[in-house]
Amino acid sequence: MNTAVGRLVRAELRLMVRDPLVLTFVFAFPIVTMLIIGGAFGTAPDPAFDGVNPAHWYVASYLTVVIAAMGLVMLPVHLASYRERGVLRRFAAAGFPRWSFAIAELLIGLVTIIVACGLLLIVAVPVYGIPSVHNWWRVAVALPLGAVAFVSLGVLLGSLLPSARSAQAVGLLLFFPSFLLGAGGPPPHVMGSAVRTVAGPLPLTLLTNAVREPWLGLGPATGWVVAVAALALALTVLAARRTVL
Amino acid sequence: MDGLDLDVPAGDIVGLVGANGAGKTTTVECIQGLRKPDAGVLSVLGYDPVTQAEQLRPLVGSQLQDSALPDRLRVSESLDLFATSRARDGGELLEQFGLAQGRRSVFSSLSGGERQRLFLVLALLNAPRLVILDELTQGLDPAARRNVWAAVRQLHEAGTTVLLVTHEMDEAEALCGRIVVMHAGRVIDAGTPAELVDRHASWATVRFSLPDLPAPLLEELRQFNGVRDVERMGTRVTVHGSRRIIAHVGAALVRWGSVPDDLSVHVPDLDDALLSLLEPEPAAEAPVPVRSELVGGRR
Repeated sequence: MNTAVGRLVRAELRLMVRDPLVLTFVFAFPIVTMLIIGGAFGTAPDPAFDGVNPAHWYVASYLTVVIAAMGLVMLPVHLASYRERGVLRRFAAAGFPRWSFAIAELLIGLVTIIVACGLLLIVAVPVYGIPSVHNWWRVAVALPLGAVAFVSLGVLLGSLLPSARSAQAVGLLLFFPSFLLGAGGPPPHVMGSAVRTVAGPLPLTLLTNAVREPWLGLGPATGWVVAVAALALALTVLAARRTVL
Repeated sequence: MDGLDLDVPAGDIVGLVGANGAGKTTTVECIQGLRKPDAGVLSVLGYDPVTQAEQLRPLVGSQLQDSALPDRLRVSESLDLFATSRARDGGELLEQFGLAQGRRSVFSSLSGGERQRLFLVLALLNAPRLVILDELTQGLDPAARRNVWAAVRQLHEAGTTVLLVTHEMDEAEALCGRIVVMHAGRVIDAGTPAELVDRHASWATVRFSLPDLPAPLLEELRQFNGVRDVERMGTRVTVHGSRRIIAHVGAALVRWGSVPDDLSVHVPDLDDALLSLLEPEPAAEAPVPVRSELVGGRR
């Protein structure tokens, strides 16, 4: 595959394998926090967690943490760093089509998310077990849609932010509140109403609900899935309009 | 840019020179389609660089200022990354530019000169019809510099058009058939290196020492057509003027039987011409670079 996207994907995958520590935030952070938070509330079904095992509640939530870490932190920093150092400029001058790098990053982002999610589940199996999935197809729709939405958001942020440092600052600022309010923090039932109001419309909350509810049998989550689909569409269009080499 | 008019004939090596901030890099960025001009018409190899960038860019090889490759990318991998279906043998290019030994080195470990040479290899990799070289030999040692110059001449012989952006006047003089001088976003002159020197630095300086300098000889030198200035400091005499003074001064010295052992002639080069063109007043006032000798003359 000697297309520009193919060559970029090959080169980026090589670089990723050569320097795996770069991916610590996507691979290690969700696993470590899942192990800590998942063990904090025990394994007995709890009304604060919609009557399910809290550890299972978090296992079902943490796949979206992987997605958010990729989209809000890893990708923006990577893209902004390439822009800042003139790597994208060299690609542009060498005749790489203007969308090629964004498409390559989208593909690599999705592959990374699949691998990181697989790793998270492998770690969860012996510790907390993996809760049975009540509605496979809804989870199977929501996860890729969410991945596309967040990877597009990452590409968009990486295109807008001028430097790697600013991308890191903005990315972390977006990631941690989203993480605490929308996926890895306390369940919504124990949040105050003001915090719940803020948490509700966050993209990561929408995605986590769209994955967790059909997974744990808490509801069909049709509204959440539709919201995530709309988000994926809007962010992909925005990223496509903004992103140039 | 302001009313820039630039014509680069196919197959030529054209130099784009000028002071910092003259607009050279902006110009080449517009030519490459990396920057959109506010107004005007731009045609590169028959394509509009903005609206037809996809067709144009594969035909252009660029060695850019202020760019980089991913730190951990190896030299050989960079060839894989940038090689299209038109690509030449990358190994040959690495050999030609002295990078074959370092093909497994990662970009971050390369010296400044090695990076420049790698960028040149990448610029030439896909057999481009137009090569844009921005500060071509910055950071290269003299041997590598000559090697790169030879490669540029080979490109010219193969019919490739080369646009060379440079601050190095010896490089422009050695390589370019035509030089375009920019200042404040405009082209202020263009021509062959010899034409530019003739137009903007047509003076000469003759220096010699005579222990017993006859006073009438000095007066005779002052009267020659083309002599602008005669300075004397001890036994040392410096004569400034047009190129024709070289013959006049030599003939006068022979006629007076005063042939010095240290007669030297300074004829300006492109560097002097550019200085004169970009800073006309100071250059006309002081064509001789050694100020300490400007003592006791008729200034």
